[in-house]
Amino acid sequence: MIVRCAFVAVLLAATSVSGVEVDYERDIKPLLHQKCAACHGALKQEAGLRLDAASLIRQGGDSGAAIMVGDAAGSLLVHRVTAEDVDERMPPEGEGEKLTPEQLQLLLSWINSGAAAPPDEVIPTDPAQHWAYQPPVRAAVPSTDRAEWQGNPIDAFIAEQHAGAGVIPVDVADRHTLVRRLYFDLIGLPPTRDQIDRYVNDDSSSAWTNLVDELLDSPHHGERWGRHWMDVWRYSDWSGYKNQLRGSQRHIWRWRDWIIESVNRDKGYDRMIVEMLAGDEVAPEDPDVLRATGFLARNFHSSNRNIWLDATVEHTAKAFLGMTINCARCHDHKFDPLAQSEYYALRAVFEPHHVRTERIPGQPDVLKDGLPRVFDAKPEEKTFLYVRGNEKHFDKDAPVAAALPAVFNQPLDVKPVKLPPTAVFPALWPHIEVEDIQRAEQQVAAAEKQLARQRAENNHTSDSVRVAKLKLQSATAGLASLRARWAADKAKHGRAAADDEITVLATTAAKAERSAQLAKAHFVLADKQADLASAEADQKTEPAAKKKALDTARNAVEAARKQLAKAEAEAMKDDAAYTSVGKIYPRTSTGRRTALAHWIADPYNPLTARVAVNHIWLRHFGQPLVANTFDFGLRSPRPQHADLLDWLAVELMEHDWSMKHIHRLLVTSRTYQLRSSAGPDRTTANEKVDPDNQLYWRTNVRRLDAEVIRDSVLHVAGSLDLTLGGADIDFTQGEAIPRRSIYFRHAYEKQMTMLVLFDAAGPNECYRRSESIIPQQALTLANSTLSLSQSRKLARSLRTEVRQGRDQHADAEARFVELAFQQLLTRPPTDSETNACREFLKRQASILASTETLTDIGGTAEPTVEASEDPSLRAQENLVHVLMNHNDFVTIR
Amino acid sequence: MSQFESTRRAFLNDLGLGFGSIAAASLLQQDAQANLTSQIQRLAPKAKSVIWLFMIGGTSHMESFDPKPALTKYAGLTIEETPFKEALSSPYLENERVVAFDPNNGFIRNELYPLQVSFRRWGESGLQISDWWPHVAQQADDLCLVRSVWTEDSNHGAQLQFHTGRHRVDGFFPTIGSWVNYGLGSLNENLPEFVVMGTPVADCCGGMEAHRANYLGPQYDGVPLTIDPANPLPYAKPPQGVYREEQAGEFDLLKQLNDITAAQYPDDDAIRARIRSYELAFRMQMAVPDIVRFDDETRQTQTLYGLDEKETRPFGQQMLAARRLVEQGVRFVQVYHGSNGGAGQWDAHKGLKSSHTRLCKQVDQPIGALLADLKQRGLLDETVVVWASEFGRTPGSQHANGRDHHPYGFTVWMAGGGIKGGVAHGATDEIGFHAVEDRHYVTDIHATLLHQLGLNPRDLAIPGRKRLEKEFGEPIHDVIA
Repeated sequence: MIVRCAFVAVLLAATSVSGVEVDYERDIKPLLHQKCAACHGALKQEAGLRLDAASLIRQGGDSGAAIMVGDAAGSLLVHRVTAEDVDERMPPEGEGEKLTPEQLQLLLSWINSGAAAPPDEVIPTDPAQHWAYQPPVRAAVPSTDRAEWQGNPIDAFIAEQHAGAGVIPVDVADRHTLVRRLYFDLIGLPPTRDQIDRYVNDDSSSAWTNLVDELLDSPHHGERWGRHWMDVWRYSDWSGYKNQLRGSQRHIWRWRDWIIESVNRDKGYDRMIVEMLAGDEVAPEDPDVLRATGFLARNFHSSNRNIWLDATVEHTAKAFLGMTINCARCHDHKFDPLAQSEYYALRAVFEPHHVRTERIPGQPDVLKDGLPRVFDAKPEEKTFLYVRGNEKHFDKDAPVAAALPAVFNQPLDVKPVKLPPTAVFPALWPHIEVEDIQRAEQQVAAAEKQLARQRAENNHTSDSVRVAKLKLQSATAGLASLRARWAADKAKHGRAAADDEITVLATTAAKAERSAQLAKAHFVLADKQADLASAEADQKTEPAAKKKALDTARNAVEAARKQLAKAEAEAMKDDAAYTSVGKIYPRTSTGRRTALAHWIADPYNPLTARVAVNHIWLRHFGQPLVANTFDFGLRSPRPQHADLLDWLAVELMEHDWSMKHIHRLLVTSRTYQLRSSAGPDRTTANEKVDPDNQLYWRTNVRRLDAEVIRDSVLHVAGSLDLTLGGADIDFTQGEAIPRRSIYFRHAYEKQMTMLVLFDAAGPNECYRRSESIIPQQALTLANSTLSLSQSRKLARSLRTEVRQGRDQHADAEARFVELAFQQLLTRPPTDSETNACREFLKRQASILASTETLTDIGGTAEPTVEASEDPSLRAQENLVHVLMNHNDFVTIR
Repeated sequence: MSQFESTRRAFLNDLGLGFGSIAAASLLQQDAQANLTSQIQRLAPKAKSVIWLFMIGGTSHMESFDPKPALTKYAGLTIEETPFKEALSSPYLENERVVAFDPNNGFIRNELYPLQVSFRRWGESGLQISDWWPHVAQQADDLCLVRSVWTEDSNHGAQLQFHTGRHRVDGFFPTIGSWVNYGLGSLNENLPEFVVMGTPVADCCGGMEAHRANYLGPQYDGVPLTIDPANPLPYAKPPQGVYREEQAGEFDLLKQLNDITAAQYPDDDAIRARIRSYELAFRMQMAVPDIVRFDDETRQTQTLYGLDEKETRPFGQQMLAARRLVEQGVRFVQVYHGSNGGAGQWDAHKGLKSSHTRLCKQVDQPIGALLADLKQRGLLDETVVVWASEFGRTPGSQHANGRDHHPYGFTVWMAGGGIKGGVAHGATDEIGFHAVEDRHYVTDIHATLLHQLGLNPRDLAIPGRKRLEKEFGEPIHDVIA
């Protein structure tokens, strides 16, 4: 007997008379989809029941019909969703909330009123048949009879859609618009006036492709597209409180530089994936490649290993595969064929890995500089399925093995990797021995010098000479110890020396180390005794302070004495135990990450290339081909331009995964070069059919990314420092240091305010930037020291240029306006704009001529460039400042 | 439709949907906002604004708003030795999730620690409030003490959890203030919709994410306001030496030039939104400094808020600014107290009596003044004031004179905006351990606020961004007048 609560009984009674108007498609299907379909649908058929189509609902499952048409009270489905016993009630606890009274009311009414549904309702198919899970096949390029749409396969696909929908595309944009668009898209900087002129005046038929090639070859292309991929790959500099590391890694900028360099060299995307996930396994001796593993090292989270690994699993899947496997952390995926156990099977790939920092040449202190990289620290570490995602609840007898989700029907081909000596014992990197021995030698030399000085200045039997002698002995013994320990370690780890030899060398090293400790203890004692003697001799200090100093000195002597006694006792030993010169790491890596990376980067992987070209497309066209860039699962229906997407995916793979090849294809297409706006007639006609420009009958207007805005402010004024690469720069110095924005620290709690306000990537996740328009952005461009100072600087150089009359111009004022428009907006002004600006210059200069009558706003920040004293120049500075705030300064048309 | 709703909708329309993303990229979001607009009309709002006071570190509930004489009676005994030992086997213990294991933090402390302060009954309602809160206590008949709130995180990540409803382990999500901002927009075109004051939660515990909008976008982030007319918010003023007339001239030309371009691109919505954003920015930089300039407040008002005393002045200024903000129609004012760059000053692992005495002194009078002032101006009816901390403190002692973190039961209070006054809702057990009556997860507080503001929490969602049940919460209908 199923017990129902009272209100349900009331509802059941009430509905039999009243009845609510209910529509299956609108009310029932979404409800059952949300509450039931994950377990009773195409994905799973618990109890043989499916509730994702009306015919299947009527058909029922193992327990018989789910509903009795016309009799809600007698329907099993109703019994189960209203059961008071939580073991009985659906959805089960933890899988979903029970139906609200309103939802229940709808269900009851639908059943009672005859359970009507459209007769042609499609029954969802096997999720494994989902379009994105089938390898992409190169579709035949459609033919079009419009000549100008035939040259580039992208255009052919787009033209076919235009023709099908009756949309007429707009014309190609003018050259000024195009050159600006291309510079921003390929290198993230506005063209200079010379660069504009060069393109606009180039009459050759290859003008556009030449410019494309030139910009793709520019080192700044790597910065522009590196930043895009840094969004997707979750680049973050280190975060933490004061000096304590809490997230990501120090010196992770080396990964940023790897990204920029890889993009510039057009390294295959497949290879990039392998290096980022398993660079330590595929190229363990190549520090350049090790940088790539910053992709994983970035996930480091000091307080909790689960947060760390969850982020690793979630974002590896989202970034490369467009797969939201993170939804299966607590339960089976509700939409995609991904079981909860498969989430943990993927986690098992990463379970053994940890992060360490390698010493780099010239810097022994890894806090100051170093190379963060991952390695398999704990090959035996087990992974467990956390019940409902709760790390407190797991079955310790049932570890989960590394594997790929079953829907892909591929084994994870794991081959353990035997690591070379420098990976196992990083001290073997040649620079480390050289530097450490050098440092010890310098200590000996310094001690020799000090002894010579003491001998020259003091009696040979004095304390200070004695101390200096002992210090030299200690330094010499230290050097000998270091050499001996290196010899032993190199024999042990570097070359396969015979056991006997290793034992001899180890014994020697141990002996040398003990001697060094003894020598050091003798020195320290003598040194402390000398300190005590001088404290005793001190006559100047007042008694209380002197007593304190004496106590401290005596304690130090006492401690040194104990240390000496210990060292003397140690010196009696004759074993072979010495302190190794470096840390020892596991000799093999599990190879799991390499196996995963190779599967991801395999041409048969249905997702990888599609996800990648979708990201590239988004950043050239302002909207992606697949709407959700990180979810190609069942919630993403086959897209409108599926053939184009697949064609591009195959094209990427068949051209050695060259991103530059794809960029070239996209930006040389006619589709890319269209105007962003049409005359009113065409716009109206097309908008009736395709208001959202899904068919690309025009180009989308885009706002510049945060970094590009800041870089442009500096670049138009000629201030931008174009140095490539290097350590992250303090994020608070964004207005003072004119480097490109990509090089400033970017981490949780460490972001430049100016960039955040313009929708900079959240360091935690950013698969797609938003383009907000908020008043704080206006305040930033209007009031920042940066924009004000740079506009003053630019105004002065333009004025000088006009005055020097590079090309003698009669009307200097009009010329100034023209140059300013070219420089800032990449186009000449219209007549009405010129007139407005000239009037402004006149008006503003007259206002500024009598500053004593004006009201100071009372700002406190110090500009780096002061306003001019000359009212007419100051008016020109104002004009440039206005153009820096112009809508089109931050816009790609 | 009430007048303010129509104002709001006109405002949103005027600004291109409250400055939400204009690009095609954000159509989804626009749809959501449009849906939202239609949904809201069905609900009748009781309140317009929220003032959200957050004590960082974990204020002792049993020494503030939830007296537990049993602690004094059984002081020194372990919980097992008292009649309340079942607290240690309660299934509620399962709710706790530890992020960072640390022997000094986040443990059940067994040896009961006596109350460090006496309690009195206040007002006609006779609510019991401790002597550390005499000014707040004077407003007892307007307070609704929810004594049965619980959370999950026994580390200070609970600070983040209190604002998003999600455990720190889960990551970052939009906060309550950003949802209100998203759902309602501003009533004042010259001020940001969501304002934050005080030093925020530290990076350990959520950092600025405790007032950010995360996936809703930066337009819904809390805007930090400093009590400094010269520099109240980032970029509120140009650098030294710029004249008002000079800037006005620039804005005029800018408008002229943008209008010319806009006429050329009739189908470009973004340029129209940007033109308006500059108009708003211009007004904002005039209006914001005035909010934190108190010249027009009477001597009496300034004294009421404690502006003439060293200890109460900083928080008093923030409370006064908060009143001025809601008076001007700002929707959500979030004020932090007790930041110390780490877990927070209220985190009384030791020296509870001295630290709480000092901290209560800093905030009690200003909060009491805020409530009294709002009331006398007729603003309390339309403003919900919330006082909260990320969790309470253990019944047991730590380090002889402190208490540890306690997520299982603690007090949050609300006042005004159609919330019943003089009410104690819910209860912890006799030693203040578990919330046992009318238990409320932290988002029930959120849902209650949203309900009073006329928003249905379930409507606040973005397609493609699944919100969990626990993020929504349920309004506490018992306390709604």
